[in-house]
Amino acid sequence: MQVDFALNILNSLPFGPLAFMLILPLVAGLVAYFAGKGARVITLLVTGIELVLSLLLVLAVDTSEILATDSVAGMQFVDYFVMGTIPVGATDTVFQFILGVDGLSAIMILLSNLVVFVAAISSNHINKSEGFYYALFMLLQTGLMGVFMSMDLIGFFIFWELVLIPMFFIIGRWGEEGSQHAAVKFFIYTHLGSAVMLVAFFMMYLIVGDATGTYTFALIGADGLRNTLPNLAPIVQIGLALAIFMGAGVKLPVWPLHNWLPWAHVKAPTPGSVILAGILLKMGGYTFIRLGLWLLPSAFARLSIVFAALAIFTCIYAAFTAMAQTDLKSLVAYTSINHMSWVLLGVAVAAFGIGLDPLNPANTGAINAANLALQGSIFMMFSHGTIISVMFIMAGQLKYSAGTREIPDIKGLMNKAPRLSAILILASFAAFGLPGFSGFIAEALIIFGSVVIYLWSAIITFGIFITVGYILWMLNRIVFSDPDPEKEVSDASWNDLIAPILMMIPVILLGVWPDLVLDFTQAVATFIIGGVAP
Amino acid sequence: MMLLQLGQIADIIRGILSPITNFLLTIVPPGWIMSLPALTLIFFAILALAVGLKYNPLGLSFIGLILAGLEMVMFDPAVLGAESFGGQFVRDPMADFFIYIILIVGFLVLMSSTLYGGDKGPYNFMLLISFAGAIWVVMATNLVGLFLAWELMSTPTYILVALGPGRKAIDGATKYFVMGLLATMLMVFGIALVYGVTGSTDLVVVASVVEGIWGMFATTPNAAYTILLAVVLFIASFGFKVGVFPGWQWVPDAYASADGSVTAYLAGGSKKTGVGALMRILVIGFVVAQTQWVFLIVVVAILTMIIGNVLALAQKDIMRMLAYSSIAMMGYLFIGIASAMDPAVNSVAYNLGVGAALFHAFTHALMKTAAFILVWVLSVRLAKRITYDDLAGLSKRAPLAAGLFAILMLSLAGMPLTVGFWSKLVLFQSAVVAGMWWLALIGLLNSVFSLGYYLRVLRYTYMMDAPDDSRIKLPAIPMAAVVICVIAVIALFLFPSIILDYAFAAVPVP
Repeated sequence: MQVDFALNILNSLPFGPLAFMLILPLVAGLVAYFAGKGARVITLLVTGIELVLSLLLVLAVDTSEILATDSVAGMQFVDYFVMGTIPVGATDTVFQFILGVDGLSAIMILLSNLVVFVAAISSNHINKSEGFYYALFMLLQTGLMGVFMSMDLIGFFIFWELVLIPMFFIIGRWGEEGSQHAAVKFFIYTHLGSAVMLVAFFMMYLIVGDATGTYTFALIGADGLRNTLPNLAPIVQIGLALAIFMGAGVKLPVWPLHNWLPWAHVKAPTPGSVILAGILLKMGGYTFIRLGLWLLPSAFARLSIVFAALAIFTCIYAAFTAMAQTDLKSLVAYTSINHMSWVLLGVAVAAFGIGLDPLNPANTGAINAANLALQGSIFMMFSHGTIISVMFIMAGQLKYSAGTREIPDIKGLMNKAPRLSAILILASFAAFGLPGFSGFIAEALIIFGSVVIYLWSAIITFGIFITVGYILWMLNRIVFSDPDPEKEVSDASWNDLIAPILMMIPVILLGVWPDLVLDFTQAVATFIIGGVAP
Repeated sequence: MMLLQLGQIADIIRGILSPITNFLLTIVPPGWIMSLPALTLIFFAILALAVGLKYNPLGLSFIGLILAGLEMVMFDPAVLGAESFGGQFVRDPMADFFIYIILIVGFLVLMSSTLYGGDKGPYNFMLLISFAGAIWVVMATNLVGLFLAWELMSTPTYILVALGPGRKAIDGATKYFVMGLLATMLMVFGIALVYGVTGSTDLVVVASVVEGIWGMFATTPNAAYTILLAVVLFIASFGFKVGVFPGWQWVPDAYASADGSVTAYLAGGSKKTGVGALMRILVIGFVVAQTQWVFLIVVVAILTMIIGNVLALAQKDIMRMLAYSSIAMMGYLFIGIASAMDPAVNSVAYNLGVGAALFHAFTHALMKTAAFILVWVLSVRLAKRITYDDLAGLSKRAPLAAGLFAILMLSLAGMPLTVGFWSKLVLFQSAVVAGMWWLALIGLLNSVFSLGYYLRVLRYTYMMDAPDDSRIKLPAIPMAAVVICVIAVIALFLFPSIILDYAFAAVPVP
């Protein structure tokens, strides 16, 4: 679905469209640092421009079928930026950024810019060292987009790590009581995961280099790792896949690597929580798809059952834990774990489909189901990113309206704060997957795919059941209870409601028109499932 | 293809100064030419001592150092021959790489000395003599020359540490001196053993004799074992200066009690000479024994990383924390040396390992020199030893200092946007390429562990409120030194090839 005017605009940008999108926030961040009070205006402007650019990018991406013989695997706007060369061996090793997007990356970039834009709007309660805050904010935006654009391991790792620095400061400096500890915990946990992942990156570089004679970190291209990795011994690939699982699993997060998440999400300031839940978790999901299914398909196919079981356990575990929370933000944080485990289930099921022989007609049903589940995973990431942003903004808003986020202490919100309640109710419904909202489509796609392949994966519906239970129970306690005359509760001002209302638009739109996202990711999903069959 | 971007600048300087070069070539004896930078430093050291009786000699020191730097550029060893003093000292690419590190660190240290101590003659004298010794250490290809240069470099630093403020400086210096003497004894013993077995102290001759001994291992095992004992002694004695296991104990005491400028020199400059000398001995003299000494180096690397990181986490004093962190950093560097396999076996791993270690030596010199100068400046301004509590709210009291410190800490932790990222990346990559992925993993886990204390600095500076909000006024020239380093730290992330190419070009060809 290439739209010509979008393509023309993007191609007219200096440094190439992708590099321009990365550099713009960096430069704007520097300006914002010295702008003081004006920083907010600059940030809104730049994040707005980035949002428009990413919309254009989605429109400009070619979503026609990707051929298995394509050496760049359907990547477009590919650009190479060489950082340094190591003159060893027969071929020099190059440290470089390779930027490129396909439908999946473009959709993730759109999501990250959408969430960052909404988070920027909802930063209106930040009034301490604004220049520094917005500078970090835009550095964060660069890092996030870079992760989704990088088509080489070193660039990927740089952006992956770059995200940690601004997030650490945002959580620790602008968060609430106890946020410093949460910030350190967040940093060390995710850094630990990426350390293991980095060793896997080096191993890919070394083993493939020893086998083919070309030492490279590039994923795409004729010598790219995507073309050469599948030839390695299965046991090596499984080792690499487990290391990738460490890195991505911490971010997603998967039980037992999830411990940082409730801390970081609860203690962070509202915009910080929005970005954490809205995109940082999706970095994990995206890595599972890009460095897992896309790069190491056969290893993931072998690990499929393990991942599916882990996903289902995480879902139910997180649902039960969420039920026990009294802090609304904490409840929403566990809801995130609960929902992101669906992504892993979709990935695991898709991995099973990859392992099947597409030429055998008996497998057609299973392969189609795997395709469905993978699209569901991608859709789940987008939908969860939008829904959870609204939930976190509303949870943060309660602190200003009711003075607390403790569920037992808030009563009769419907009577005293109707506007706030209305949006909270809508978002909650979307969160547990009521038909008509995007969450439903995502869960339906994944479950329809997964039951065909693993019948027992239907147990995950038990997770939905509990989720519906605790969310309705939460609403019952704070929204529909009798007002407590002794407690002061004020309604949210329209100013504070701009961001959540804006974010509800995609939630409802995608609920009735899911093809808005699925049309762009279909080609990638088909390519991943069928492109590397034996 | 290699770029060596700075070559053009060097050509311009050579072009401008060519008349002076030609004049000097006529009056200076040919064997002295390559040692001229060190000789210049010695000349200016004596001059500074004399002038220092009445006037402030710091300007003279600056002139001496800049002249030495210019002489480095003017006399191209590729054209004029690299040997000096009959081949005792050689300016090969590796020596050049380390000499530039020493000169850059020296310049920064002199900038920092404007704040404290730099106005005295003896201080300048000793600093410059030590620089000259350091230059000869990294140039030495003969064990006797190496020993002499080593003493020339070390002896002044004992006194420099003792000159630091407060009674504690004497304690630190005593510890440093006693352990330094012990290390020297071990080195002499090692040299004697090598001489006894091989009949020579020239490293190239030693290398060929050792190769013969290894070839006849079955018939003359005793000679081989003697050589291995000498290697152990060398690792212990040079490792003392570098501050690695087992000789690290003096580091925190001497670093924390000395004048901060001297600490910056010890961490940034003299430490690198130990690295340079050890690398030269191991990869030129005893490269055939690589499979034997690599085990030792791996153990040293792992223990050093763990000791440095664990003890750094326990510190309250920032200077001591940085001292322990610099011990840990040398552990990372030793990963690179451990990856330097015999080039006949695996030349990729050899080049990558030595190159990574050289690159790390350079970046570590930048980061640690700046960090020590910064803490020293704060320490002088607040008139106390800096602990974490003193850093609270620094982002309000001195925003520039807080920002610079934050960048330096992130760089030491190896985060992107700083050159620390590349230097750790290449080190761990070299370990993986040498077939030691577990060593890379241990290094990475240590690197994660080290976040515990680096992030604590960021937490105090940026997230805590200060007990009093008064601004701290910082001196211009030392801060300029820190700013230069931090700009370099960021610029080298964006353009790592500026130094990376030189580091790999400096890998010695055995």
